[in-house]
Amino acid sequence: MSMLELSHVKKSFGGVKAVNDFSMKADSNQIIGIIGPNGAGKTTIFNVISGIYTADEGQIILDGVDITKKQQHEIALLGLSRTFQNIRLFKGLTCLENVMTTYDPVSKYNLLDAILLSKRRRQEEKKSKEICMDALEWVGLADFADERPENLSYGLQRRLEIARALASNPKVLLLDEPAAGLNPKEVNDLADLIYRIKEERGITILLIEHRLEVVMTISETIYVQNFGETICIGTPREVQCDCRVVEAYLGEDN
Amino acid sequence: MGFLSAILTFTLITCITVCGLYILTGLTGMFSLGQAAFMAIGAYAGGLLSVRLNVPFPLCLVAAIIAAIIIGYFIGFPIMRLRRDYLALVTLGFGEAIIAVINQSVGITGGSMGLTGIPKYTSLTLVVIILICSILFARNFRRSKYGRMAIAVRSDELAAKSMGINVPRIKMRSFLIAASLTSLSGALYAFFIQYADPTLFNWRKSGEWVIMVFFGGVNSLTGSIFATFLLTSLPEILRSVQQYRLLVYSALVLLAINFKPDGLFGHWEVTDLFAKKKKTGIRKESK
Repeated sequence: MSMLELSHVKKSFGGVKAVNDFSMKADSNQIIGIIGPNGAGKTTIFNVISGIYTADEGQIILDGVDITKKQQHEIALLGLSRTFQNIRLFKGLTCLENVMTTYDPVSKYNLLDAILLSKRRRQEEKKSKEICMDALEWVGLADFADERPENLSYGLQRRLEIARALASNPKVLLLDEPAAGLNPKEVNDLADLIYRIKEERGITILLIEHRLEVVMTISETIYVQNFGETICIGTPREVQCDCRVVEAYLGEDN
Repeated sequence: MGFLSAILTFTLITCITVCGLYILTGLTGMFSLGQAAFMAIGAYAGGLLSVRLNVPFPLCLVAAIIAAIIIGYFIGFPIMRLRRDYLALVTLGFGEAIIAVINQSVGITGGSMGLTGIPKYTSLTLVVIILICSILFARNFRRSKYGRMAIAVRSDELAAKSMGINVPRIKMRSFLIAASLTSLSGALYAFFIQYADPTLFNWRKSGEWVIMVFFGGVNSLTGSIFATFLLTSLPEILRSVQQYRLLVYSALVLLAINFKPDGLFGHWEVTDLFAKKKKTGIRKESK
């Protein structure tokens, strides 16, 4: 059954149609790639799904719940996590604390427990720490739990963002250019990691990526966007052979 | 009561306010330039109940907190969705408005003549006890999920929202906590100097508190408390060189902010001295 379903989603900024009639269906346990040249509206799609923007038209269904008009934090609590194109970690918190912020909104203790250091607080904090250490281990950052994120290398910061997105145990994970700025070895490791997240945790993953070697190797279906329009949908092989895709990337053949 | 003990009491009362501001400005990153108005609310709510209605002292303190929460909620509701620079403006306006209201309602508050005849119930011991409670409150708040979420909101609101954090609610919570603590300290202040008048609570006081939090370190409760001690007592210590004291004060603050943008203490807390072992413990477990 479909985990995330977008039907005829439109979003314009003034006269610019950033997303024009985008429809998509993602089943559970599937990686979907979204590619396209700069300004094709890829990140806008993510922003509309995660509630940063509200769609002008169309409908978005997450695991049977209509999230089109919901607020960002409500959508997150319904099981949608994301990372950002420009890394947005929380300064002033350690790596572990960064990950814990994702679990905190569902952590079950109140202000009184927090102030009086009650038993419930201890149990919940312990549980949260376990879940979040587990997420850090998943991305291979367990040794950096007490480190501050700004001291990590770029590649590790990207991984930390993924760990933070995983800690809430989402149904759908949106990754916005996770391989940007990584070296070839890191790109390979990242592709493995994303594949492992899908295989072992059964999470539906939407992936925006410019590094085609990543998208082509791990996605099952690829949507190609250009100027807000979907120009091609297919498996990696089909997409690579589609002349409209080649045109969008390399320009028209004269 | 001697001069020194009076200064000490006053400093400790300010520390109670600063505990609240550590949560509001330090952790949540919200600037309130009208915070002194909450001190006025506390001073007048407590003072009036005691002077006019003979309400017992502990109830006056509770009433001060409740008044601050109610007024804070109404002020806070529309402004929680504003950007932080607008928040500073709105709170500034609100603060001055409260002072004007107190000034104008001569019949109830005594207006600019001030409210006199407040009994002296605040003792140094009481202030110390309440301050210790406030410090523990702020510390436990920081170390709980509430502290983490507040810092997340300060650091990146957009990312915080997409982690499922209800940003307006976090801001409101911090705002109300700061308002309550400020109001409580206002009531203690009124019962200490046995007098309240609107000029005591202008926006410059709110500004001073923001400076204290930044001077000591936005991320450090230890730093905020230390800065409060230093910056409250400094003008008194420098009293002998009257004409230069504001100069020294300003120079010190500017130097600190220029050379240590994170504040004197940065992230450091006194408790870090004891916490080192525990932290490495977590790291080993994970291997």
